[in-house]
Amino acid sequence: MPAPSTIAIVGASLTGASAAATLREEGFDGRVVLLGAEPQLPYDRPPLSKAYLRGATPFEKTLLRPAEFYREKEIELRLSTTVTRVDAEKKWLELAGGERLDFDSVLVATGGRNRRFPIPGLDLPGVYDLRTVADADRIREVIAPGRRAVVVGLGFIGAEVAGSLRECGVEVVAIEPFKTPLFRALGEEIGRVVEGLHRDHGVDMILGDAVAAFEGSGRVERVVTTSGRRVECDFAVFGLGIEPAAEVVAGSGVRVDNGIVVDELCRTNVPGVFAAGDVANHYHPVCARPMRVEHWQNGVKQGAAAARSMLGRGQPYDEVHWFWSDQYDANIQYAGFHAPWDQVVVRGSLAERKFLAFFLTAGRVESAVAINQGRDLRRAFSLIRARLPVDPARLADPQVDLRTLVPAEKTA
Amino acid sequence: MARFVTVAKANSVQPGQVLKVEIDNFPVAVANVGGTFHAFDDTCTHEDCSLADGDLEQHKIICPCHFAEFDVRNGAVLTPPATVPLKVYPVRVQGSDLQVEF
Repeated sequence: MPAPSTIAIVGASLTGASAAATLREEGFDGRVVLLGAEPQLPYDRPPLSKAYLRGATPFEKTLLRPAEFYREKEIELRLSTTVTRVDAEKKWLELAGGERLDFDSVLVATGGRNRRFPIPGLDLPGVYDLRTVADADRIREVIAPGRRAVVVGLGFIGAEVAGSLRECGVEVVAIEPFKTPLFRALGEEIGRVVEGLHRDHGVDMILGDAVAAFEGSGRVERVVTTSGRRVECDFAVFGLGIEPAAEVVAGSGVRVDNGIVVDELCRTNVPGVFAAGDVANHYHPVCARPMRVEHWQNGVKQGAAAARSMLGRGQPYDEVHWFWSDQYDANIQYAGFHAPWDQVVVRGSLAERKFLAFFLTAGRVESAVAINQGRDLRRAFSLIRARLPVDPARLADPQVDLRTLVPAEKTA
Repeated sequence: MARFVTVAKANSVQPGQVLKVEIDNFPVAVANVGGTFHAFDDTCTHEDCSLADGDLEQHKIICPCHFAEFDVRNGAVLTPPATVPLKVYPVRVQGSDLQVEF
């Protein structure tokens, strides 16, 4: 199959930039156009809720690659450019402003957008969410020691923001509808550990309660919960998850179901149209089911995998999904495939916040979370990939090297 | 001025192992790859994590915090999120002493 001569990449963030770089690494000598809605060069988002938000790292350090890289590799960067529609039949992109850009094949790497709920007062000045560097800059402007913030939602982003605000001396009240932080991802037992971490750092948590309204005259002054609590504040940040930004393919014939549906080669049902990253609901061969994840590592790796697939050199994308979340002095890492679990096995000490916890379904490790125990988590990758029953007693024994629990022929 | 500093006994770092040492209060890691020693900054260039707490796989050191990977022989980045190479230092064995030029 001859490689296409113009490849358009919609979305100039981690996934899109990884795909563009990979196309050149693979020797593709056609045209590569990388289009992004934001004005900045492609940058790394993890620092936005952590070091960048705290003012501890400059924006330049978050750039994925220097400007010269794109020039040298002849990657046409079209920044501040919104793609409104992918026309898969006519093989062109429609850009805001009416311009069209022809392509031979296209990668959709549009990521996600923050979920917004119809909560009264959500649009009040002083109520923020966080996705872009511009969002982070708005929050940075109001961060000051002694100010009072409400953080709404203690998923990973909310928990990181709460931690960063505390480290800047902001008084933080966090409101979370589940009974612990990170409850959906980690369950109650591990969620309690994260709760303890935040309590020890002075976060006042209101758990099992939700926001009913943001109130204030001209600017947010308080948050009211469904149980009737009123929390006075100077500003609020909400982190209520994202939804895939898939509307660019609306009407194109590309199948959308919880994101853009792709196979293990990042192909949609429409020839020449590929998707990767947060927007891609991808079939995962290890689990034999479709899934959509919002992880940094998936952005890098799936972007690269999609690029190779577009050149006809694709390999089934079968990475063990993995992400990290740094909160205070805790390095939290999660690997595997989130699924309902029937057993949690802990290796290490919950009290000391130095452990690995395995989530098992029918005796198999589906996923694992580590706090300050990253080396062990890494060693568990082949165990997660192997999908074999494993002895919980050996999982729990810190003396057992996790790499030895997988038969050699199953080692990744 | 750079000089060789004794950091450990050579037999205290067996093949496949990494040892964290301090030279002038600066953390340095020494890895033994199949009998050859390599010294490098112990702190990952991505964020503040000790590489000696990670696994050494042949010539590759894996940061335990975010799984960046470096080649201990020359400090090259093999896997992101790190983008900046690791500083490496000359190593020699004098008698039973392991010495790093620092």
